[in-house]
Amino acid sequence: MIFSILEHILTHISFSVVSIVLLIYFLTLLVNLDEIIGFFDSSDKGIVITFFGITGLLFTRWIYSGHFPLSNLYESLIFLSWAFAIIHIVSYFNKKKKNHLNAITAPSAIFIQGFATSGLLNNMPQSAILVPALQSQWLMMHVSMMILGYGALLCGSLLSIALLVITFRKVGSTFWKNNMKIKFLLNEFFSFDVLYYINERNSILLQQNINFSFSRNYYRYQLIEQLDYWSFRIISLGFIFLTVGILSGAVWANETWGSYWNWDPKETWAFITWTIFAIYLHIKTNRNARGINSAIVASLGFLLIWICYFGVNLLGIGLHSYGSFTSN
Amino acid sequence: MIVTLNPKILHFSKLNPRSPLSRPSPRFHRTRTISLTTNCKLQNPQDGRITKTISLSDSAPPVTEESSGGNGGGGGGGGGGGFLKRLPRKVLSVLSNLPLAITEMATIAALMALGTVIEQGETPEFYFEKYPEDNPVLGFFTWRWIFALGLDHMYSAPIFLGMLALLAASLMACTYTTQIPLVKVARRWSFMKSDEAIKKQDFADTLQRASIQDLGVILMGDGYEVFMKGPSLYAFKGLAGRFAPIGVHIAMLLIMVGGTLSATGSFRGSVTVPQGLNFVMGDVLAPIGFLSVPTDSFNTEVHVNRFTMDYYDSGEVSQFHSDLSLRDLNGKEVLRKTISVNDPLRYGGVTIYQTDWSFSALQVTKDGEGPFNLAMAPLKINGDKKLYGTFLPVGDTNAPNVKGISMLARDLQSIVVYDLEGKFAGIRRPNSKLPIEIDGMKIVIEDAIGSTGLELKTDPGVPVVYAGFGALMLTTCISYLSHSQIWALQNGTTLVVGGRTNRAKNEFPDDMNRLLDQVPELIKTSAD
Repeated sequence: MIFSILEHILTHISFSVVSIVLLIYFLTLLVNLDEIIGFFDSSDKGIVITFFGITGLLFTRWIYSGHFPLSNLYESLIFLSWAFAIIHIVSYFNKKKKNHLNAITAPSAIFIQGFATSGLLNNMPQSAILVPALQSQWLMMHVSMMILGYGALLCGSLLSIALLVITFRKVGSTFWKNNMKIKFLLNEFFSFDVLYYINERNSILLQQNINFSFSRNYYRYQLIEQLDYWSFRIISLGFIFLTVGILSGAVWANETWGSYWNWDPKETWAFITWTIFAIYLHIKTNRNARGINSAIVASLGFLLIWICYFGVNLLGIGLHSYGSFTSN
Repeated sequence: MIVTLNPKILHFSKLNPRSPLSRPSPRFHRTRTISLTTNCKLQNPQDGRITKTISLSDSAPPVTEESSGGNGGGGGGGGGGGFLKRLPRKVLSVLSNLPLAITEMATIAALMALGTVIEQGETPEFYFEKYPEDNPVLGFFTWRWIFALGLDHMYSAPIFLGMLALLAASLMACTYTTQIPLVKVARRWSFMKSDEAIKKQDFADTLQRASIQDLGVILMGDGYEVFMKGPSLYAFKGLAGRFAPIGVHIAMLLIMVGGTLSATGSFRGSVTVPQGLNFVMGDVLAPIGFLSVPTDSFNTEVHVNRFTMDYYDSGEVSQFHSDLSLRDLNGKEVLRKTISVNDPLRYGGVTIYQTDWSFSALQVTKDGEGPFNLAMAPLKINGDKKLYGTFLPVGDTNAPNVKGISMLARDLQSIVVYDLEGKFAGIRRPNSKLPIEIDGMKIVIEDAIGSTGLELKTDPGVPVVYAGFGALMLTTCISYLSHSQIWALQNGTTLVVGGRTNRAKNEFPDDMNRLLDQVPELIKTSAD
């Protein structure tokens, strides 16, 4: 009884703190609060509080139900929001300068948690008992690695979507405003060479910008570069987690059912997601066509992760039916 | 005439304030390097970076292919031999083309997705009904497509396996032609001889009044391997990050080989054995694939000594256990183990898994007579839960509508008893041996005999696949490391430092600046 009250309190704390943090971020968009440094830092501290709240929540469920808190959809969603909080904190503590991951992780954490605690998942917050097949040490390793992988890959693909939006928004609108005046041609020609030279070392994105005057779009170019780099790094990390998760799932399946790969819908979709992100990483190695193409692939990956995580569960069939909506 | 600018000029947003009394800010040096040169630089194709160069120099540019830059030397040089000798090279260069590999991966992903949408392994009538010819899905997709392409058994269909084989060939070709030369290049300890070469690197800096030995020591402290030859220095860190992608490809090939072995050489079978009975492994195991060869251990007899189930307090099943004895041809017991769901038995290459359970029979005594073994039949209801029932006839058993006592059970724990009219009479647990009075008869439920559902399997590919899994996990983690290389040259008292890294590009300048800050400045001690 105490545990369930504690659990409720912790859920409410983490949810409300994340909402406040989100509010602060939105306010910074409208009003430039960057000068108020203290304010900015406090929103990061807010995520730290959320992280501890969710950790406490997971621990409480663990003690209360006797098994690692990852047995049904609700618990895996809470774990996912915890993964986002971790990513946010790690990037906050490791890097001295502000990076753009913050804008992605905080809203993601709150949306996931909000969805989980909403009434859509009827009665799932109750701790359920584990069926015999789930009573294994592999449960911890496989599912936690998969959720961490999903979290990191979702962050990375959201960054890529942001990159695409920023790149294509301006190109569309100012293309028609492109001035053909002679006096700008020299400037553009000059900037073209410079940009092309940088291009040889960096990304091909800038070739889209050759119609603009150089200095105006320098900061945008930097932002795109940053997004590109960060999405690459975090997708690589997520890819490692996803690989370990899929392989540990295969080993677990071999121990339980005698076969390490059954072409179960969930397994197949996880493999498809893995393949798409492998394609993303391979496109990145080839310097010819990097930037936009890889961002498109990563955006596709975003859809695939949701199909893999949620869509398959909606069907409720196959060996992974523990996570379906209709169970319990 | 080509104007070349040092790109570092553009990073003026990152000026760090430094006291001009100590060493001068590195950025000020960079702003000096606006040079108008009329020669064009032919960069060394060190790692296949260059794909387009306008070369005005005397020597002919190297023949590079579109994407496999490192292969350029090999592919072009093969033109000396005859056509037959060139064919493998041509095939290799086609296979190791990266866009081809990406297309293959995308095709495989699409086929897998298709396999989850189209139901697999159903009867032909199902497909005739679901994808009829007179009303095709998406306007053209009928059952003819499904059977022509083998989409009803997608994951063993020829197109799918063919794509996998093609991907394996591409993996092998790519590893051989592109990645191994890359490793050779990365391992070479090349010292840079000139200032210009060093300043061309992604990160370059010049330190006045510094010594190359100090730099070497500081780099070693940061984990670099440092090599010094005269006035020049070469240091690298994280070489494993260059090797690891090769390891990833090799691990994937290993997994594919193991999977092929499994698909062609394994046996499997499942059996439901009531408690107390036995079976011979060889009778149950059926070969899968054409390379399956039975082993001696197939003659072992498996005896189910006991089958029990554990329950939660709420009544749900928590675990099931089977106590098994393995006996050889002479009847001698070679192994005895109690298995449960996540804990299989392994003997002689055969693994026995506990996967299911069933209700075999109910032992009852009626008014002291018996015990009667009543077979329990499975009843169909919705969902996963099982329901078994049996019937004890009362009175004239040959009459057409004979009445009797019905007993239903969801598990081996509680039996629900109904009387002759079908009304609920009571619940009994077999262990309690409590009698129940129904219409004047005393029924005692003596025992519930369960049967265990076992799955047997032998799979020669498993060790290979496990090795591949382990290698893949390890090498994927390692390939996250960044391979950093640093060159330095001592010009009098000036030290020119340059470096690059392949993955952690953003953090590299900061790390380098941190290291260079630690290089002590040499102060002139005596007046010259």
